[in-house]
Amino acid sequence: MSQTDTAETTANRTDSQGVSTTAGETVQETRPEWTNYEADGETKLAVDDLDVHYGDDHALKGVSMDIPEESVTALIGPSGCGKSTFLRCLNRMNDRIRAASVDGTVELDGEDIYQDGVDLVELRKRVGMVFQSPNPFPKSIRENVSYGPRKHGDIETGLLAKLTGRAEPDREDALVERSLERAALWEEVSDRLDDNALGLSGGQQQRLCIARCLAVDPEVILMDEPASALDPIATSKIEDLIEDLAQDYTVVVVTHSMQQAARVSDQTAVFLTGGELVEYDDTEKIFENPESQRVEDYISGKFG
Amino acid sequence: MIAVPRDEYRESLDELRADVESMANDVLGQLLRALDALERDDHELAREVIDGDDRINRRYLDLEGDCIDLIALQQPVASDLRFVAASFKILTDLERIGDLATNLAGYALAGGPELIAEVRLQSIGETAYGQVREAVDAYVDADSEACRAIAARDDELDAACQNASEAVVRDLIAGESDRWDVERLLDDVSRLLLTIRDLERVGDHAVNIAGRTLYMSDGDPELIY
Repeated sequence: MSQTDTAETTANRTDSQGVSTTAGETVQETRPEWTNYEADGETKLAVDDLDVHYGDDHALKGVSMDIPEESVTALIGPSGCGKSTFLRCLNRMNDRIRAASVDGTVELDGEDIYQDGVDLVELRKRVGMVFQSPNPFPKSIRENVSYGPRKHGDIETGLLAKLTGRAEPDREDALVERSLERAALWEEVSDRLDDNALGLSGGQQQRLCIARCLAVDPEVILMDEPASALDPIATSKIEDLIEDLAQDYTVVVVTHSMQQAARVSDQTAVFLTGGELVEYDDTEKIFENPESQRVEDYISGKFG
Repeated sequence: MIAVPRDEYRESLDELRADVESMANDVLGQLLRALDALERDDHELAREVIDGDDRINRRYLDLEGDCIDLIALQQPVASDLRFVAASFKILTDLERIGDLATNLAGYALAGGPELIAEVRLQSIGETAYGQVREAVDAYVDADSEACRAIAARDDELDAACQNASEAVVRDLIAGESDRWDVERLLDDVSRLLLTIRDLERVGDHAVNIAGRTLYMSDGDPELIY
């Protein structure tokens, strides 16, 4: 009797394996070799089997990819495909969403950023973020840039520092100039550093946000649709800047503009609905000859 | 179903394919007429071919403009991009084949190839024409197997042309040339050699078309470089 039971159980197992093979048609559409791309250069961020749930919603499914240093990696895909979720995992911005649960590992220079004891302030200093709409603080241009270093205690500018002689206005000025230079904004604002940042144009505000991000000397810069709210001229300045920054930083950019991804990135990861990473390769390869039919259809605008 | 802007784009890609095919048929017609003009010493037909080259050139510029418009306005990517890029290059090959047909017609007008050697021009012409015909069909059907076959067969055409050229020179050296007017002989020989060379070039353009088509269909640049 118990032997029959065992036999039945075994049979059931075989059945369920058979079913999963049938379901393999879906698996065929996302072949592992389409995503296990190895870029030239050192890996800066190694993401392995990353799963994200927002409550019952499975937002990212087992995403693994290595992001090389000093290059631009573009993340593209339709709305709701998980690309922004993925981006936010790279500096643990998802920690702020209570319902979000993250499994898998994200290694920055070989250290898992999700392990216990990671200092989030330090992590976000190393992995900075620039958002879709420019969000400068309602403060002067100078204060916007020096905000991070002051908060991190790298520069002291307060009244107490002034009275105790610890203030270093020269160092602050140098940092502000260096950061604004690097963000290609210095020439436009050097004579009005004490003006309110909200008086700048949208494109200038976005470059100011990039300068603010650079001021804390990050290693990785995450950008979530950094030019989608900007006109073509401001967009092209941001794109030039992205390419330039990639000489010193690891840049990961989410964009809805496929042409932007094609223009600025060295490698492109395509996420499709359901939180899957479907293809990850050199940008030329993705836009000239992608492996996946679904990726081809998506980038060519053949929907539905 | 509601028409989306992308529908228009897909239609213009289909139109481009049909237009390239129709230009190719025109060029193939020119090639056939030029060969026939050579065969039958038909000066009227030769002139028709020469006059037709303007039509081919205008068609070429129109379609090249269509490719540029598609790239500028629709930003094709992936297989669409490869299709437009391949078509753009194939148009040039077709235009050149048209020029070669005009050359052949010019040789027919200049007196045609005197039979100074055992050269089977029509057979070489048939092979060259067949290569172009098949390359155009491969483009229309995006048939990568056919592309590889066309490239492999080009050696046969090259060998036939090589043999023919050698036969002309050998015949010249063997020389019963004293019974010829030397000036006339030089004209005839050089014209015959040019005819052979132009037919060989027609075959080269067919291979180019096959190479671009293989890139278009498979993303494989093997036959291009």
